Amino acid sequence: MTTVTQDPAAPEPSLESRGIRLGDVAFRGVAIAAAAGVTFLLALIAYKVIEQAWPAIEHFGLSFVWTEAWNPVQDEYGALTFIYGTVVTSVIALLLATPISIAIALFLTEIAPRRIAAPIATLVELLAAIPSVVLGLWGILVFGPWVAENLEPWLEKWLGFIPLFEGTFYQAGMLPAALVLTIMIVPITSAICRELFSRTPRDLTDGALALGSTRWEAIRGVMFAYAAPGIAAAVLLGLGRAFGEAIAVAQVIGGSDHINVSLFAPADTLGARIASQYQGATTPLQQGSLLYLGAILMVISLVTNVCAQLIVRRFEKQRRAV
Amino acid sequence: MKKSLAAGLALFALVVATVVATGATAAPSKSQAGTLTGAGATFPFPLISKWIPEVGKAYDINITYAPTGSGAGIAAITARTVDFGASDAPLSSSQLEACKGCVVIPWALSATSIPYNLPGLNGRLRLDGPTLSRIYLGEITSWNDQRIRALNPGRNLPDTKITPVFRSDGSGTTYNFTEYLSSVNATWKDKVGFNTSVSFPTGVGARGSAGVAGVVRNTPGALTYVDVAYSLANKFDFAVMKNRAGKYTTPGLRGINASLSQLPKKVTTLSQLKIVDPPRSAGPLAYPIVTFTYVIAPTQSSKAADLRKFIFWAVTQGQKFGPALLFQPLPKTVQAFAYREIKKIQSSS
Repeated sequence: MTTVTQDPAAPEPSLESRGIRLGDVAFRGVAIAAAAGVTFLLALIAYKVIEQAWPAIEHFGLSFVWTEAWNPVQDEYGALTFIYGTVVTSVIALLLATPISIAIALFLTEIAPRRIAAPIATLVELLAAIPSVVLGLWGILVFGPWVAENLEPWLEKWLGFIPLFEGTFYQAGMLPAALVLTIMIVPITSAICRELFSRTPRDLTDGALALGSTRWEAIRGVMFAYAAPGIAAAVLLGLGRAFGEAIAVAQVIGGSDHINVSLFAPADTLGARIASQYQGATTPLQQGSLLYLGAILMVISLVTNVCAQLIVRRFEKQRRAV
Repeated sequence: MKKSLAAGLALFALVVATVVATGATAAPSKSQAGTLTGAGATFPFPLISKWIPEVGKAYDINITYAPTGSGAGIAAITARTVDFGASDAPLSSSQLEACKGCVVIPWALSATSIPYNLPGLNGRLRLDGPTLSRIYLGEITSWNDQRIRALNPGRNLPDTKITPVFRSDGSGTTYNFTEYLSSVNATWKDKVGFNTSVSFPTGVGARGSAGVAGVVRNTPGALTYVDVAYSLANKFDFAVMKNRAGKYTTPGLRGINASLSQLPKKVTTLSQLKIVDPPRSAGPLAYPIVTFTYVIAPTQSSKAADLRKFIFWAVTQGQKFGPALLFQPLPKTVQAFAYREIKKIQSSS
């Protein structure tokens, strides 16, 4: 902006332009403060979590991660049960939520008439506004019993030869938790996918259609290719949500201390265990172990995020190469 | 453009101001007289909520209590971020040491009931300690097991799987229940033990009384443990429990009262207040799963006078609010013990 004043014919800088400059400075300051603030906060949280987890880290070392134990009476703790539960529930939720979300997004952008699409999109997004504790209550009172009485017997009938789908039916267990998580991440992923699909340049799909491809071919060949990195990012965003969800999972997962092969049986996740036992922790070691679980959760989330960025970058590269 | 920037700045300033302000109010206000903050057990919370307005009227003391759970209550009073803590489990010797000069005072008394879901059972389910502990150990898995039928002659027990339901969150009810199972079954004591949360060998966990109740309500064949007030409020069928005298009793006020009859004439230590599974001499009415719940106060406090007033009021006049919520009023001997402990709370300034 200062270069403008080099013209001798130009008038003195007006108050207004000075005002803008002040605005720029203020804007810069606020933006930097916000970014630095968040970074600082995250660092502080990470520090605090590790500091509070220290009694457990010191006592159990790294073997905590692969030990299957949770005994507040003997003061023996390990994270394996919860890591397993977190990964399995989240992966199931993701496997179910991704196709559903893409289908919803395609329906809303490609198939549904505008008059229907708008209210349905709002309804799907409203699903994200349900507080997770309410979803958890619904899970334990309505959905869980339905899963135990209908879905699990049906699964065992058709897939019972796989150990994952046999055993006693429980209304609180791995499967209901994974399904509740699915319901929680569908609105997020489908909203992002819808945005991605609606931004695919019309002329690209029109071109594909003009060249004689079917609608599905145009969607698969053009839209998916265009939106792939975005979809990957959306899915991983959903995964992050699934990893971190605590209350709703705590209500429907059945809080088991042991790993069970059957998806019908009770299990537990990192977040759910912290949510249910932090307040009642009686020994410093139990409290430390719960925060150790928190630290593990943070590491898992970090790794997922980094993977997400790598995947997105690879897609971008591929797309540019084409 | 300028306007929105100004608005943005204003918003930012507002956020900063709010953060600063909440930070300032969250800090414990030490000098202000007439306010007490507490945190801890959820079990006595219904009773404490009745007490708060009454104490406010009687002494002009403004009390806030956060039902954060026994463990958090112990941690908070140990760190002195609250004026008093509350716990369903008495402090262990190491916890008491860490608390550096704390007194643990019994201030309410209640019982744990065993609700079950057996549709169409003709009459009330009868259980005893050994059978109940074997169910939770996973040794008895069906309702028509010989050992359950032996206790329930003439009842049409179904061939349903038993689903034991436990609290997945830390809870004083779990402490009371597992303390009982430990005292009636040596295997339980060795394998599982007792605490506010334990590693249950079998069954399904749920969060809070509402959570376990929800699972039991929807699962035929399930049973669980919740405090008796909750059971009554939700109209659950709960089991009658066999006591040492060989009689089946309910967790009513009379049953709780009878289980106290074995307390010594003069209570001098906390360990004498362990009242689960009372001996035969407690009589035919004694209900076996009964527990005290405690308030924890520092012996040195800047608000000692208010603390003494509040706790004294709670263990005396406050007790009359108990029966409506199925808290049995404290017996005289325990009150006397409480007075002696309250006197230890001294002003630090």
